[in-house]
Amino acid sequence: MTLDQALAEARGKYALIIDLNKCTGCRACELACHQRNELPGDMSYIRVYPKQKPDGSPYFLPVQCQHCVKAPCESVCPTGATYHHESGAVLVNDKTCVGCRYCMVACPYDARRYDEEKGIAEKCWLCLDWVLGGGVPACVQACAPGARIFGRLDDPDSEVSQLIASGRAKPLHPEFGTEPGILFYIFPGE
Amino acid sequence: MGQTHWGWLVAIYLFLGGMGAGSLLTAAVVELTGERYKHAFCPTTLIGAGVSGPLVIIGSLLLIFDLGAGKMEPWRIIYMFTHFTSVMTWGIWLLTLFIPVSLLYGLMEIMDNYPGILAWLRRFLKFLPATLPYRSIRRVLAGVGAVLAVGVAIYTGILLSVVRAVPLWHTPLLPLLFLVSAGSTGMGLTIDLGATIAVPDVARRFHALPIIHIVLIGLEAVLIGLVLAVAWLQGGVAAESARLVLMGPNAVIFWAFVVFPGLFYPFVVHAYAIGARRHGFISGILSGAGIVIAGLFLRYLIVFSGIPVAL
Ligand code: SF4
Ligand code: SF4
Repeated sequence: MTLDQALAEARGKYALIIDLNKCTGCRACELACHQRNELPGDMSYIRVYPKQKPDGSPYFLPVQCQHCVKAPCESVCPTGATYHHESGAVLVNDKTCVGCRYCMVACPYDARRYDEEKGIAEKCWLCLDWVLGGGVPACVQACAPGARIFGRLDDPDSEVSQLIASGRAKPLHPEFGTEPGILFYIFPGE
Repeated sequence: MGQTHWGWLVAIYLFLGGMGAGSLLTAAVVELTGERYKHAFCPTTLIGAGVSGPLVIIGSLLLIFDLGAGKMEPWRIIYMFTHFTSVMTWGIWLLTLFIPVSLLYGLMEIMDNYPGILAWLRRFLKFLPATLPYRSIRRVLAGVGAVLAVGVAIYTGILLSVVRAVPLWHTPLLPLLFLVSAGSTGMGLTIDLGATIAVPDVARRFHALPIIHIVLIGLEAVLIGLVLAVAWLQGGVAAESARLVLMGPNAVIFWAFVVFPGLFYPFVVHAYAIGARRHGFISGILSGAGIVIAGLFLRYLIVFSGIPVAL
C-alpha cells in the first residue's frame, strides 16, 4: 500500500473521484447541481476552473466540497451547524446556521455558497438522500464523458477503492491539511 | 483580491472591540496603580471605563447585523454559545461577560463623579445603600474587566489567525498585534483625545503614560512589520497580500491612514511629550485622533488584504 496507506484506509464511506483526463469542461455537473438544489441565480455548489498543464495545454478542474475529515469549516462554526454525518459527508443544519460566514472564510476550497435570501452558508451535501437510497449524486448522473466515478469505499473491490489503492486517485491540495474525505482526483496524465 | 466573505462590518467590529477593551484596560491600569487617587478629578478612568461598554456594544450590534439567518431569526444566536472549537464561540462568551462588567464599571465611575445619580437611582431601587464603597467596587470591576478586556482584544486576532486558508492571517503575531493595537487605540481615545480635552495638562500628571504609549506604538510598528515580512517571505498568496498592502491598491491606506497618523506622528508627539513632560493640546488631540483612525484602517487592511490560498 502507501499513498499514505491508501489514504489512511480510505476516509469516508463513499468516494467521488473526478478524472481530469476525461472532464471536458462542459459544466453539466454545475448545472445539474444548480437545478437539483434549486439554487438562486446561477449559483452552484460546483465550480469548474479552467487550468493549464505544465505544457500549456488546457484542462478543467471541477471543485466542490471535498468533505474534509479535518474540516476547518466545521471547527470554526460557532453554532455546530456544520457537522459530520456518519457517512463521512460534511453537512449543514439550516435550522441552526446563523450565517456568520466564518466557514466560508475558513474553507480553503472555497466550497461554501451564501444564500442571501435564507442567510445560510450552504454547500455540496453529496445528494445524500439519493445516495443513501442507493443512487448517485446529481453531478455524477449528469457527467456525460463519465469523468465522475462514484462508489463505496468500504467495499475493497469497488472501482473507487481500487483507484485509491492504486494511488491514481489523490486528494486535491493535500498541503491544505484538511484531509479531503470523499472527493479525490485523477490528475492530468495519471 | 482579498477574501470577499467578510467586509467592512467585521473590520469595524474588530476595531471597536479592540478599542473598547483597550479603553477599559487604560482605565484599569490608572485605577489599580493608584494613579487615579492622586487627583480630585480623573478624566482618564471616567472616560476609559465610561466608553468601553458602549463601544463593545456597538461593535457587537454590528456583528449581529452582519449575520444572515441569525439576524432574521435572532433566537438562533443562542446556538453561537455552544460550539467551543470555534473561536467565535469564545468571543461570544467574552463579549457577554465583558459588556455587563464594563457597563457597571463605567456606571461606578460616572456615579462617583456625579453623586446625584445614586440618589436618583435610589428612588427606583430602594435597596441601594445611601453611600457606596465606590473604591473597592471599582477596583474589583477594574481587575475583572481588565482580564476580560485582554481576552476580548486577543480573541479578535485569534479569530483571524486560525484561518489557514488565508496565509496573511495565519500567524500567532496577529493576536499580539491586535492586543497591542487595542491598548494603543484605547490610550489614544481615552488619554490623548478624551483626557486632553477634559484636562489639558493630563500628561503632566502621569509621567509614565507617554512612555507606556510610545512603547506600545513602537511595538505595534514592529509587529506590523513582522506580519508583513513573514507574509512576504512565505511567497505565494501571502506575499501577494503583503504586496497589496505595501505597494498595491491598498498602499495608500497603509501609508496615509495607518503608518503616518497612527505610528509616525504619535511617536514623534509622544517623544516630545516625554521630554516636555506634557502633551501639547493640539498635538495630543491630533495624535489621539490619528491613532484611532489608524486602528480602524489597520483592521480594514488586514480583513481586506487577506488573499485566500489558490486552487
Ligand atoms: S471542502 Fe470546505 S466546505 Fe467542504 S468540508 Fe472541506 S472545509 Fe468544509
Ligand atoms: S455560516 Fe452557518 S455553517 Fe457557516 S460557520 Fe456560520 S453558523 Fe456555521
